[in-house]
Amino acid sequence: MNLLKISRKYHRWLMLFLGVQFVTWSVSGAYMVIFDIDYIHGDSLVINHQTKIDPVKVNYPLLTLIQNYPDAERVEIGMHIDQVVYRLRQDGIEYLIDADSGQLLSPLNQTAAVKAAKHYYSGMGAIADVELITENPPFELSSRALPAWRVNFDDFGSPSLYVSARSGKIVGKRHEFWRTFDTMFSLHVMDYEDEDPSNWLLFWFVLFSLLAAILGLVLTYFRVFKADSEKEDGGNEHRSPGKKQISKETSPCQ
Amino acid sequence: MPMIKTLHKWLSLLVGLQLLIWLGTGLYFNLMDHEKASGTQNRQSVESPTVDLQLLIDPKTVLQAGTNVVSLSQVILLSHPYYLLAHEKGLYRHFKSHYSLVDAVTGKPFVITKTIATAIALESYKGSAKIISTVKLTEKSDDFPKEQNSLWRVNIDDALNTSVYVDAGSGRLIGHSNDDKRFVDFIFMLHFMDYASEGSFNNVQIIVFAIFTLFFAFTGLIWTVELAYNGQYKPALLLGRTLANRKMVDIFDKHDKSLGPLAMFAHENLLDSLLNHDIALPSTCGGGGTCGRCKIVVDSSVKMTSADKSQFTAHELKSGYRLACQHNSDELEQLTLVDVTEAASQELRLISSEFISPYIKELRFKSVNDRPVKFRAGAFMRFFIPAAKGNSIPAYLPAELLHHWQDVVHMEYEHLACSRNYSLANGDGQSDELVFTVKIQTSPNERVKPGIGSSYICNLAPGSTIEAVGPFEEFYALPSSGKPMVMIGAGSGMAPLKALIEEQLIQKNSSREIYFYFGARSQLDLIYSDHFQQLSERFSNFHYLPVLSRPGQDWGGATGYVQDHLAKYLATGLQKAQDKAEFYLCGPAAMMESTIDLLKDHGIGDNAISFDKFE
Repeated sequence: MNLLKISRKYHRWLMLFLGVQFVTWSVSGAYMVIFDIDYIHGDSLVINHQTKIDPVKVNYPLLTLIQNYPDAERVEIGMHIDQVVYRLRQDGIEYLIDADSGQLLSPLNQTAAVKAAKHYYSGMGAIADVELITENPPFELSSRALPAWRVNFDDFGSPSLYVSARSGKIVGKRHEFWRTFDTMFSLHVMDYEDEDPSNWLLFWFVLFSLLAAILGLVLTYFRVFKADSEKEDGGNEHRSPGKKQISKETSPCQ
Repeated sequence: MPMIKTLHKWLSLLVGLQLLIWLGTGLYFNLMDHEKASGTQNRQSVESPTVDLQLLIDPKTVLQAGTNVVSLSQVILLSHPYYLLAHEKGLYRHFKSHYSLVDAVTGKPFVITKTIATAIALESYKGSAKIISTVKLTEKSDDFPKEQNSLWRVNIDDALNTSVYVDAGSGRLIGHSNDDKRFVDFIFMLHFMDYASEGSFNNVQIIVFAIFTLFFAFTGLIWTVELAYNGQYKPALLLGRTLANRKMVDIFDKHDKSLGPLAMFAHENLLDSLLNHDIALPSTCGGGGTCGRCKIVVDSSVKMTSADKSQFTAHELKSGYRLACQHNSDELEQLTLVDVTEAASQELRLISSEFISPYIKELRFKSVNDRPVKFRAGAFMRFFIPAAKGNSIPAYLPAELLHHWQDVVHMEYEHLACSRNYSLANGDGQSDELVFTVKIQTSPNERVKPGIGSSYICNLAPGSTIEAVGPFEEFYALPSSGKPMVMIGAGSGMAPLKALIEEQLIQKNSSREIYFYFGARSQLDLIYSDHFQQLSERFSNFHYLPVLSRPGQDWGGATGYVQDHLAKYLATGLQKAQDKAEFYLCGPAAMMESTIDLLKDHGIGDNAISFDKFE
């Protein structure tokens, strides 16, 4: 068997087993490159408010705050909707405190969470449902963000905003395009659980795919370049199915 | 289906190399060392001391002094507390933001200077380090292309060329990069086709390639499904002949003469199986089902593949025409060869080699094994020309022809092996010789080699041998009828017509009218003139009609082009017989085309025209 035949045979056989994965790679790859990654991240789902802090509203002094929270870390002053707030962490738990009165605002109740979600949400859709997640977060939310309110909007792409019950901040913004992207990525790296590209399944598939692709390029070479060179060589082969005709290198008489 | 295959072929040319890059880089990501890829081999975590918050000035004071503050965070830089004021806050830290810093103890403004940036960088560096330089980047960083804020880059003198990046506004440590990470970034750049180093895979070029690849993968999948549907995936096909069973298939030649049963490996395609028995069907695509030349006739119940459907007419399919490369012995009990009777590879010995015109030779061969090669008039043989040294001037030129060759460029050259087809010129069935008329293709200028095949075969010394396969029967007289035959030929291309004429007159003793229009330049090129004159004298039904385009002085016959004379006869003499005449054409493309057009203008149908084209 010559190189052409060997290549054809093994390209065909390898692709019998790899073909579906090639389609999977190309579909998932195309999805990931076509959709803008910022859109996938849900950046367009939220408004990045730049509300300025009014110092007049900060009347709860830091000294008082640390008397109540002696092990406070990462103290921060920022906005919670239209309220100036302290955010701090103590023993691994975040607290949200009114910077005017010192009133503890966290954990947020449903009303507060919905209010925050609406404040940040850029779309027009109504809220479909709200749910407090304290454990076993869905795959689209990190467990570090718990506890959090999941606020689902009735809008294109089924967007969900996750509002931290502790800090009142948006800790997740997801829509169907993100969810699909996530599935596409796991299909692309062939790790359907941890989405880690370092897995043996991917290794063997890529290895055989490389072989199949190289054989495919040999076929391309023969079909595209060799076919042409035969013609240019004044070759005697003539392809014209259905007609009785052959060609020979003899005389173009006269 | 043919469109799918064509698309797959051309897409492979377009995306093939990129596909290799994707797979190769993909394999790299699969195997790479993630610690190296992170660029943090020399990074250590910074242990910040606990801050006594009681020592800090009240944030309200800071807020009153500052303007437009979105958030105020207490941070620690170089073990000292500061307030980080965000005046504009990007959605992510690497998005465009605007910060200022205030010493949380003294309330004084604090700026990330070169010295501070260097110190922050060193704090995160494992062990002692020698700084090469600290520079504030004015443009996007190659190591962190997504960072939109102004950065300090601290270059460290170590084996990995580590660079540490610090946000010039907030003093935040962006990260470490080194040659290992830069290599991984390069691989990512290739995988993402991110040639502008934007740190993104949403660029135009990858989107275009992704769409082409999508079509490429789907056309391939459809093709695979089609192969599976046609039974091309059977374990024995993969495992090869060692495990394959043999099966006997009855072979018939085109005259329904049995060639006996042949053993064929189960699952092997018929093109290969026949070749194992030295029956070489024509094929230029090597079994891909795209050239449509390896025709056979089988029982019409044998299923049709899409390749069969694209190569044959509905009528042919119904008559059982199939492509040998698309079927295997499992599907049938017998098959009939179409373009070949006993086409087998054989050694031929050259008996004689004579010039019959200044550039045309008559070559006579005989089979080496003394078993005569049987063929039908009009058939051709394929000669295997070995790689050899060639000479543009024949070695043994008769003295009287020397002046015809004096203007031919003298060249010595080497050529590769190739194969060439030549028609058999004899058809009288009187001897077991194989006669060919071959014109030596001379070179028009020094840059072009002369005809490799014709020069080689015409330079063979009598007694030497050459390998050939055949006969292939693609051009032949239609099944015997009493209809007149009109033959139009030119130059050495008349070989198959000569064979047809001899077959009719001598072998079959046919009384049908035969008109032979033979075009040539001058009397010198009028090969076999005496032979045809004698035939026309011996057989009253044979009409030899030579036409010369540049006759010498002593020419009393027709002049001009054969087509023009044929046109005259079509208009007058042959008119009555037109609808029942058969036309056989053989010559250069231009002559053939204009003749076919002429015939069609006179209402002659395709099935009455047979032609054999020369190039």
